[in-house]
Amino acid sequence: MTEVLLLGRRAVREVVRYPEATIPTLFIPLFFLVVNIGQVSKTFPSTTPFLRGQGYVAFQLPVSLMFAVATATSGLALVTEIDLGYFDKLLVAPIRRSSIIFGRLTADLVRGIAGSGLVLLVGIALGARIQSGVLGALLIVLLSAAFGVAYAGFGVLIALRTRNVQATQSSFLLFFPLLFLTPNFVPFDRLSSLMETLARINPISYVIVGIRSLVIDGWDAGKIGVCVLVIVALGIILTALSLRAIATYDR
Amino acid sequence: MTLDSNTSQPADGNLAVADAGAAIAARGLRRDFKGGIEAVRDIDLTVAAGEVFGFLGPNGAGKTTTVRMLCTLLPPTSGSATVAGLDVVRDGAEVRRRIGVALQEIGLDPVQTGRELLELQCGLYGITGRQGKLRAQELLELVGLVDAAERRTKTYSGGMKRRLDLASALVHSPEVLFLDEPTTGLDPASRLTVWDEVRRINASGTTVFLTTQYLEEADKLCDRLAIIDEGQIVAEGTPEQLKAQMGHDVVSLSLDGADIAATEAALSGLPGLERVVVEPDALALYVEDGASSIAEIVRRLDRDGIRVAAITVSRPSLDDVFLRATGRRLEGQEQQSQQPAAATS
Repeated sequence: MTEVLLLGRRAVREVVRYPEATIPTLFIPLFFLVVNIGQVSKTFPSTTPFLRGQGYVAFQLPVSLMFAVATATSGLALVTEIDLGYFDKLLVAPIRRSSIIFGRLTADLVRGIAGSGLVLLVGIALGARIQSGVLGALLIVLLSAAFGVAYAGFGVLIALRTRNVQATQSSFLLFFPLLFLTPNFVPFDRLSSLMETLARINPISYVIVGIRSLVIDGWDAGKIGVCVLVIVALGIILTALSLRAIATYDR
Repeated sequence: MTLDSNTSQPADGNLAVADAGAAIAARGLRRDFKGGIEAVRDIDLTVAAGEVFGFLGPNGAGKTTTVRMLCTLLPPTSGSATVAGLDVVRDGAEVRRRIGVALQEIGLDPVQTGRELLELQCGLYGITGRQGKLRAQELLELVGLVDAAERRTKTYSGGMKRRLDLASALVHSPEVLFLDEPTTGLDPASRLTVWDEVRRINASGTTVFLTTQYLEEADKLCDRLAIIDEGQIVAEGTPEQLKAQMGHDVVSLSLDGADIAATEAALSGLPGLERVVVEPDALALYVEDGASSIAEIVRRLDRDGIRVAAITVSRPSLDDVFLRATGRRLEGQEQQSQQPAAATS
């Protein structure tokens, strides 16, 4: 456990000392938030039934939160470390290899909390009201950060498997279809039947729906429960694959 | 093909007995890579506790692959090895507790300061809190980096990085220290500092296994060494023993276009001649007494009308050992074509 804390502290230090690695990842979600609202707020005024009296920003906010936390930053940090040789130094230390992964994920949690907190505040400033209250807002930040941690396993996995910076960087591109084949602009029932089918089998949809429910509906145990389940399942699967990748690295 | 071995290579039945107490022992250690690359080919090694053992060879000879196998970073394809008496595959975790490693690619985290890096390294070896801080300070003093301790390592010079890397390999006072090309890329002054460090570390009882492509480093720093070429150990012994095998003096003839075969023929049967090694456009004659052979060499060349550019006399160096074992020189890394039956005794 000490190893995880030590490596986690180092990774967090990296986040703080290299803001240039984090700031660009926040540009896209804020950009999408502002542009999307600007473009469709007349099409979807607050009288639109699925907005329940709120502006479109409330509907769009969860999508931007997903964008803010789903990054390949940890994967990139890891692959850079492999390149520099520091990774070997860690492998040859008498620590569990898993602690290298968990140390990285600690930084993702911190980065996720900071990033989603910021996007949420911008959303509120743009007029979104969190129907579930302050507790709900905290849960939104926590769920978003947890999703970021779960998703980080993907970048880490690519980094360990390919040991290639470009491949790890481009792993982020995979998130675009995952994020857009969801009820990101309109609810499930307003999508075309093909898009609805794809959105319904895409687990990311349920993360968005869960977080969105906290913004627009208040406390909907069913939607929040499914959201938590998806995040936990995704986290377990991707972290397990990363742990296996590091356990078998050069073995 | 081992030219000579002064490390009693025991019969198979006695391996366990002979290796007991050895800091490092490898038997038939082999590593293949994809594409049919045989990086390390069935090498045998024994390094006694307390030695500075050198692994000398050109780039791509298999030095780093061997170190990575001994450090548990890479599993062998076949064969076995023990470090500090523990099997590198079976007891990897325990081996890692007993060894310090500074690899060729200096493993430093550019975001951390020198002090943070050492304190983290201490923590990973279970030295935490006040003890970790004290140990980090002690090591910073040891490698002369106290003034730079609060700077991020990315601002360090090559020599400073190497010294910090060395310090980070020492946090837990390892039994065996692996240094993979510790002075490659360093200026002469930094190189001497690292040598002093290695001697000091060794004097405190740590066995040192270092790889190098520098003859002088192997000669001055190592108690014993092995020469590795194309994945195989081609010579092994103390630097003095290896050089002594070559004969007494080396008379080098720079041929400047003169016919090699004719020159060799003219000098055949030269009194005191121990060995002739052919190089491109040069001949190395290993003779009993270099100075007194020169007159006879010149007389014979003159008799046969052979003109050479220069004749020099020197003592055999490790490069001569390397030349004889591999057919080419290590100095300058020239890739010269290996001439069959070039070495004749």
